[in-house]
Amino acid sequence: MSKTFDDIVKQLVDMGGVVEELKASEVYVRVPRDRLRNFARFLYESGAYFKTCVGVDERQLNNMFAVYYIFGLDELGKDVVLRALAPEDDAWVDSITSEVPAADWCELEFRDLVGIEPRNRLVRRLVLPEDWPDGVYPLRKEFKYDMRPPVGAFREELAEETGIPVGPYHPALHEPEYFELYVEGEKIVDVAYRGFHVHRGIEKLAESPRFTYKQVPFLAERICGICGFVHSTCYLMALEKAAGIEVPERAEFIRSIVLEVERLHSHLLWLGVAAHLLGYDAGFMHAWRIRERVMVLAEYLTGSRKTYGINIIGGVRKDIDLDKIDKTMRTMASLKEEFSKLTEVMLSVPQVKSRASGTGILSKSEARALSVVGPVARASGLYRDIRKDYPYLAYKRVSFKVPLYTEGDNLARLLVRVDEVYESIEIIKQLIDALPGGSISVEEYEIPVGRKAVAAIEAPRGEDVHFIITGVGRPYRWRVRAPTYQNIPALRAMLRGTPLADAPLTIASIDPCFSCTDRVVVYDMRSGRRSSIRITRGG
Amino acid sequence: MVKLSIAKILQIALKAGRVTRKYPSEQPLLTPEFRGAIRIDPTKCWGCGACVRVCPPNALTLTPKDKVATLEYFVGRCIFCGMCAEVCPANAITVTKEFELSSTSIEDLKSGVVHRLVRCSSCGELIWTEAELRATVKSSPISEEYITLCPKCRKLKFGKAAMLGRGGSSE
Repeated sequence: MSKTFDDIVKQLVDMGGVVEELKASEVYVRVPRDRLRNFARFLYESGAYFKTCVGVDERQLNNMFAVYYIFGLDELGKDVVLRALAPEDDAWVDSITSEVPAADWCELEFRDLVGIEPRNRLVRRLVLPEDWPDGVYPLRKEFKYDMRPPVGAFREELAEETGIPVGPYHPALHEPEYFELYVEGEKIVDVAYRGFHVHRGIEKLAESPRFTYKQVPFLAERICGICGFVHSTCYLMALEKAAGIEVPERAEFIRSIVLEVERLHSHLLWLGVAAHLLGYDAGFMHAWRIRERVMVLAEYLTGSRKTYGINIIGGVRKDIDLDKIDKTMRTMASLKEEFSKLTEVMLSVPQVKSRASGTGILSKSEARALSVVGPVARASGLYRDIRKDYPYLAYKRVSFKVPLYTEGDNLARLLVRVDEVYESIEIIKQLIDALPGGSISVEEYEIPVGRKAVAAIEAPRGEDVHFIITGVGRPYRWRVRAPTYQNIPALRAMLRGTPLADAPLTIASIDPCFSCTDRVVVYDMRSGRRSSIRITRGG
Repeated sequence: MVKLSIAKILQIALKAGRVTRKYPSEQPLLTPEFRGAIRIDPTKCWGCGACVRVCPPNALTLTPKDKVATLEYFVGRCIFCGMCAEVCPANAITVTKEFELSSTSIEDLKSGVVHRLVRCSSCGELIWTEAELRATVKSSPISEEYITLCPKCRKLKFGKAAMLGRGGSSE
């Protein structure tokens, strides 16, 4: 990219944008709501990735609804936030999906939850269930967080499907997904996805009187069962940035170490699941055996195997002493040895290689258009890693490689994760070596009202984005965009044209929050017959 | 090729041996840092409610009813973060290593401390738990006349006294 940050800001101003706030790491530009698409096109063409968009009910502040479109200039390490306002009685904004396909979901989300209409695009319900009454918008401020609206009537489309097995979803597992695969014989021709079955309203809960700033990290940690620490850290990074809280260096290091420990266990878990899906259960067992060491280490470092609960505003609660340093170093050494042996065997199994290579291909251009994140992006030749692009916490102090593959198939995604395990081990070693002294949290802090901030973290699955507007005692608005949110739309591109047998591995290859009772409905285009298959053999 | 990888995985498996523990006959794998359920020491607890305010999942509740206030710990909601133990001014809460908490009755998951409440000697409003009153007297010298008053009556009384002290009339 040849343009500098200043050039881009200047160009946005020339196009009619008004700079509202200019910070070291991000700029807020107010743009006219009917010309959003022009600004989005310009940013996308300037090399920006789309992060997410957020609908906010700002009527208490300025009598308007606001929409924030967050773009990340990865190569410059800065964010550009476009803000468009819409009055209550005429709440619409210009849709940008024709320019930025990645914005598809989040526009539908603010349409569902805040009631701002994205214009000039096809709309459908995304987040809210079919029987949710019309005109009730949960993220508007007058909607109480514990309100349960009367259930409306099911829509026509759903009634037609009566009697067809769709499901079952496991209500206890945290992200049930539902794919409809349209096939011609064995070949998949199209994919429909329906998600958000377990939308828990966490964002609403955090802005309700039930929660305070201090309690939200524990709530954030429960967004995801695998990368919970990423979410609590990302929330705190956004909050600390908004409030201008300086986190002690030692706390930054400890957070980074725990983040990498989390990546290790996540990737090992995924490798096990991938091996299991390929019918290679020996690999699954051994990957999880090795992972257990990481889990024990995590418990020793934080007090809990998962949902570590050590993140507080302005630092962490648990220090790393000499015993812990020793244990970490020993675990890393043995992990590296065992992992290299295992992957050597695993990748030499011909069935693994032949089933993973050449399947579920995502081309670089499609990956770019959908702004995919994490290992999925890196396997399709996009050099994206938040740890490098927006160096946060202690990542500026370590050197590591970002594995990059260009094939874009399942094997490439597998290899990216294998390589990342080695990198994570090295990062942890470096961080432990360089662990500075000092306190691990700030004593006092103040959180001013009405500040905004965007924070991003490289989660095991990709870029996790949190956006916050501070309020009184709790966030005024808190938006979370998990990595899977950005990657699932890419599945359509990956699955089209591939044989049905490759679908389970391909769906798993983006590492979605995966529940083993997921099923897909198969719709045969020629006979019109439907049947459902298990996506995994176990469960 | 296949045979080779089988030989290799066998080697790995033989070296690793059996890793699954025979829980519960064998000890579970717990590190020294493990956080389990909390225990509240009723002799130390003041009933001040600091833990209730900080508890993210509302596992701790303080409910005043008639003459008593009950601090209840419902382990079914607990996320074992241990924030309550950190904020407790009386050091009454300890984080234990207990994790075998399942039960067939929901009542077994609840435990609590009952505190007697003190009424304001002037207006009769409920003000404090007896234990917190005792703790306050112990930590800071406070005049006998004021200790049983609610904040409102205390202010009033102090105001009157100050006026009298300056020679003004309380009438």
